[in-house]
Amino acid sequence: MDPSDDIYQLAGVSKTYRKSGREILAVRELDLDIRAGEWLAVQGKTGHGKTTLLHLLGGLDRPTRGRVTFAGQDLATAPESQVRRVRADSFGFIFQTFNLVPTLTAYENVEAALIPLGLHHTQRREQVAAALDTVGLGDRAEHLPGELSGGQQQRVAIARALVKAPRVLLADEPTGNLDEDTRDEIITLLDTLWRERRLTLVLVSHDSSVVRRAQRIGVMSRGRLSIRQDTRA
Amino acid sequence: MFFFTYLGRELRRRMRQAVFIAIGLAIGIGLVITVIGASSGVKAAQAKVLRALYGIGTDVTVTTKPELPSAKPIGGHATSGGPGGAGPRAEICVNGKCYTSGTVDTLVPSNVGALSQSEVAQIARLHNVSAAAGGLVLTDNRVTLPSASNPNIAPPTSFTVDGTDISHPRLGPLSNARLTSGRAFTAADENSDVALVDASYAASHDIKLGSTTTVAGTKFRVIGLVSQPQAGSPPNVYIPLARAQSLAMDLGTGQKMNGKVDTVYVTATSAADIATVQGEIQRLLPQATVTSSSDLASEITGSAASAAKLAGALGTWLAVLVLIAAFAVASLLTMAAVARRVPEFGTLKALGWRSSRIVTQVLGESVTIGILGGLAGVGLGFAGVAIIDKIAPKLSATVPSASGAFGTPQTVTGPGGVASGALIGGPTTGHTTVAVPMSASVTIGAIALAVVLAIAGGLLAGSFGGWRAARLRPAAALARVG
Repeated sequence: MDPSDDIYQLAGVSKTYRKSGREILAVRELDLDIRAGEWLAVQGKTGHGKTTLLHLLGGLDRPTRGRVTFAGQDLATAPESQVRRVRADSFGFIFQTFNLVPTLTAYENVEAALIPLGLHHTQRREQVAAALDTVGLGDRAEHLPGELSGGQQQRVAIARALVKAPRVLLADEPTGNLDEDTRDEIITLLDTLWRERRLTLVLVSHDSSVVRRAQRIGVMSRGRLSIRQDTRA
Repeated sequence: MFFFTYLGRELRRRMRQAVFIAIGLAIGIGLVITVIGASSGVKAAQAKVLRALYGIGTDVTVTTKPELPSAKPIGGHATSGGPGGAGPRAEICVNGKCYTSGTVDTLVPSNVGALSQSEVAQIARLHNVSAAAGGLVLTDNRVTLPSASNPNIAPPTSFTVDGTDISHPRLGPLSNARLTSGRAFTAADENSDVALVDASYAASHDIKLGSTTTVAGTKFRVIGLVSQPQAGSPPNVYIPLARAQSLAMDLGTGQKMNGKVDTVYVTATSAADIATVQGEIQRLLPQATVTSSSDLASEITGSAASAAKLAGALGTWLAVLVLIAAFAVASLLTMAAVARRVPEFGTLKALGWRSSRIVTQVLGESVTIGILGGLAGVGLGFAGVAIIDKIAPKLSATVPSASGAFGTPQTVTGPGGVASGALIGGPTTGHTTVAVPMSASVTIGAIALAVVLAIAGGLLAGSFGGWRAARLRPAAALARVG
């Protein structure tokens, strides 16, 4: 495998937080390469650094030490404006609690992801409609999040993540708030999208039934990542 | 478009809080407008008083101190032993000529000295002076002395007379008057025995248009009736300056006042030049008293002045305190709202939204609330002003007169009188007390201020919240979820 296929290269990454006067080492000395189009699942107990790793990959936080290189740019040292642009263009986020804006309709929530791109509203309308159709919610566009089920809300969140055709999808416990049937629906949808769109998918979950669909499974324990399974070709 | 959709939805979600903040701002802004309205109403009432005394166009008045008379030109006394030695006897002397019977009618200036017409011309030539006109503020005192056939002394009568420079109709007390019937002075009236009479005075003294009225023993034909604003204490009779000068007697010298005036009314070229004009005149006439309308306004006493102080001090502070409280509450509530929306803003940042876009969104919401509060505040301001208009009592204003107040009636005792030695035509007091109707009003300036305050309040409230939203790191904001 040519290393240039790696979309992410993490080297010596550590992240320390200060909480109540104490230093907490959330991620320690982490080295990781992620290939473009790969599905990496990260398991681990609560508080062992899974979400912190995802935030570092998504440019939502900066490491205390080390490099987080995405497509040749070091997100650890790049100016905030540049990191913001990478977030706007290349990353789609899916959260456990959906994180939809409660006052905006499904359509508007998806549209919010296109605002930083400065697209004309006609183009936005087409892309939003297509994204909602993809997740099977074309007929619920005018519904507020409160009027949708948990599964539907997560579908809206997935549409929001996909609408800008990102290179990377970062999902933090995407099924954590869903019942079993809905969980399977969502994970099947993610699986389909990953295959069809050749996305790089990094999914954090403590649910084994979710992570086993991934090509590579890592486990975070006390801030360290160890790869348990690798089915990549 | 998305901005307004998001803004509208967010305000609807926080409807109760938005209404609460808007009401707070509305009360503060309404109070500011009411205080400004009341304050400008009081000031307008004061201005009415001053205009009635000095005319609309007068910026500065010039007077001078009276010369001490070398001999008392007018004097009177009552002694026991009337005509024929049967009872008390009254005698009035004017310029050495004493009267013991008949009617003595004198026209004298108030307690100020005389200035010459040439000094008026000098003032008019000053650089920043647009116009200057002299005038005489006089009192006609009339006493009918007892006689054998009529031993009882009639009470003396007195009325005020303004010697008007009719070549300067926009200066002096007459400039503020409204002609209610007849005609105004014309240039041809300069040396004529014609008079304009205050309509209220004419009504109470049965003086009709076309009839005559006597000033200093001379009959003047009434060519017009005029009325002054209610707030004023206007002269009773206006006659041409030249005629007033020939009839009035200078108490300092005992001479007629030909070529003399006792007050000079001056208009500056602009309001900004008033202080300069004051200084120029003072240098030209070091002995003169140079008074601007603002000097006089500051010397007004009575309930009008108290109301002005109340509106200016207590009212302003109350409005400022309420505004500060409203702004503080608005800021705190906006910050609390932002705190509740931290995960939402974190998500938007994760989507790639600029911090400035989020701050603009927060500011947009709070400015909208501010503008709504401002509009409600303008409504409250109108209501407050209307209430003041409805319930405000008439104020009294005691005004220092630039040329001394018009003469007060003097008394002279005679047969049956209780005092002796009363003097007439002497110096008079320099104050006039008038009733001032107060009328508060909302000005364009006050509304503009309200809009500015509303936007400022909104920006202030939003900037705290916006600042808080802007400095959030996305990961920290998202960590608040759940």
